[in-house]
Amino acid sequence: MRYYIINSEGREVSFDLSYVSEDSLNTKKFKLRSKEDSVDLTYYVRSLAGKSYISEDSRSWTKLPSLKSKDGLVNINENLNIYRGFKPSGLSNAKAGNLVTDMPGKIVKVMTTEGAVVNEGSTLLILEAMKMENEIKAGISGVVKAVHVTEGQVLESGFLMIEIEE
Amino acid sequence: MTKRILICNRGEIAIRIAKAVRELGYIAVGFWTDNELEPPHLEYCHEWLHLKGANNTETYLNMNQILVHVKENKIDAVHPGYGFLSENTIFAKKLEDLGVIFIGPHSVAIEKMGDKAISKQIAKKAGVPVVPGSVGEIENAAEALKIANEIGFPVLLKAVAGGGGKGMRVCLSKDDLDKNFEAVRREAQSSFGNPGVLVEKFILNPHHIEVQIIADKKGNIYHCFERECSVQRRHQKIIEEAPSPFIGTDESLRQKICETAVMLAKAVDYDSAGTVEFIMGEDKSFYFLEMNTRIQVEHPITEEITGVDLLVNMIKAALGDELDFSSQDEIKINGHSIECRICAEDPVTMLPAPGKIASFDYTFPQGVRFDHCMYEGFEVKPDFDPMIGKLIVKGLTRNVALRKALCAIKSLHIDGIKTNTSLHEIIIEQENFVAGQYTTNYISEIKPQDKVVGLMRETALYKKALAIEIEGLRE
Repeated sequence: MRYYIINSEGREVSFDLSYVSEDSLNTKKFKLRSKEDSVDLTYYVRSLAGKSYISEDSRSWTKLPSLKSKDGLVNINENLNIYRGFKPSGLSNAKAGNLVTDMPGKIVKVMTTEGAVVNEGSTLLILEAMKMENEIKAGISGVVKAVHVTEGQVLESGFLMIEIEE
Repeated sequence: MTKRILICNRGEIAIRIAKAVRELGYIAVGFWTDNELEPPHLEYCHEWLHLKGANNTETYLNMNQILVHVKENKIDAVHPGYGFLSENTIFAKKLEDLGVIFIGPHSVAIEKMGDKAISKQIAKKAGVPVVPGSVGEIENAAEALKIANEIGFPVLLKAVAGGGGKGMRVCLSKDDLDKNFEAVRREAQSSFGNPGVLVEKFILNPHHIEVQIIADKKGNIYHCFERECSVQRRHQKIIEEAPSPFIGTDESLRQKICETAVMLAKAVDYDSAGTVEFIMGEDKSFYFLEMNTRIQVEHPITEEITGVDLLVNMIKAALGDELDFSSQDEIKINGHSIECRICAEDPVTMLPAPGKIASFDYTFPQGVRFDHCMYEGFEVKPDFDPMIGKLIVKGLTRNVALRKALCAIKSLHIDGIKTNTSLHEIIIEQENFVAGQYTTNYISEIKPQDKVVGLMRETALYKKALAIEIEGLRE
């Protein structure tokens, strides 16, 4: 799953986290990769007394917080938003009202039409990418000016899918 | 009939009160409100009442609605906690009139001590030192100089109607006084519409030291020694410790300040838990500031070093029961205790930062007491005080307490909201604090907040993402 962690100033960390295997000791193995930072890490996760613990060497373990993707995070003194599987449009480099793919994918569902009035955060498309269905949300409230995609369409990265006018 | 005690408060103090009520075998009755449907203190309450309203004015400050609940639910006694109606004479009086016990001092003591001018007069009369200065406002610089020479420089010129640090000037000499007098008058006029000016002794590098009082209805007044609360921001305490490192091993000074506090309590026939606050100068001279006629936020550190359960004894005193002790000699200092107030605030700007607690977890060392009202999913609302918990440690010595405090604060993890835990971590390791050499100027002079850094540590973030991934796989 691709993760995006974005702070209030738009600073962003993104990486892919994938489940690899479960070994005999009830230990789950995960791979973490980030192309930009050439990070390639292996993590082990196992549970103890209802909590999950993480290790890099399956020797020393630290407790994982119980978090859900809707939860905001705080890093010392800045608020961070964490997104699992999708990056909200409007936070991308494109114009706030333009929904642009940032990875190759396939349109599973179109949930809006031209002329529709949409609110910031409402889901407009489902895009399958990284073998995951990602909700593509409106970055601003406004009127849908154009829908450039249809269901089943395969898209390259950087494709303009929907335009919203404030 | 088992006594029914209503807790007119929320948050950590409501939990603390309920614990004491349960311990004594009474029925704890608590409120929930429209803007706090799941207050954690109800976990400790036997009966839950709905205090209608979406803000504090409609709820915890709404005497009429509370009094209706008191009558309808056959309440025997009311504990107000701190804040809200805890020092409201009218509320105490109305309960007295209903024949319901107000768990606090009698209403006359609240009234007298609640008025700064009256409490100062009572203190003076009782032989308790107050900050020397002019009696009322002064007319001109010459008069100011006359008083300054009597009480000694440095002096503080301040607007009668002033507050919040405005309209105040420190004068080190006669020249300063001449130069500043008219300026303060002008500032007083422009800021407060009242040109009245006072002169009083300026206490250099002051310490905030307070003495815990516990008294019963039979005229017995005891002290539980002092607390030092000099680490403050915006006149609000963030770290407190007991005993005071500034008084240190000076037992005669400790004795003197504690006995002075008892003297003042006697002057108003005090009959509950209360705190006498003093300002102490570099030369260890101390002056009465004010008396808080309620249980205070920082009471746990006193409980830790004396073993006296202040909440239990406060309730016992109000109900006219015997306290857990019957002489001053039974109350002794044993060890050292430090409290860190955990607040939902930005650790750098120290401004409140409400939000929802996503995760909350700790692995404390031995010797930690954590009075708090947090749980995963708890929402810190702007309606209430940002203080969400108090981390209290107790050790054999101050060094042991510091070691435990550092370990404890490092092992407390709160996510989803900004908290001041990183600031506490810095202060607990900071040289001056460790040496016990700090005054009320600590935050403004040492600026520990500048050392709080918000680096985006990738590895920490990866772990958080993995936590979410695990939750995602479970679903």
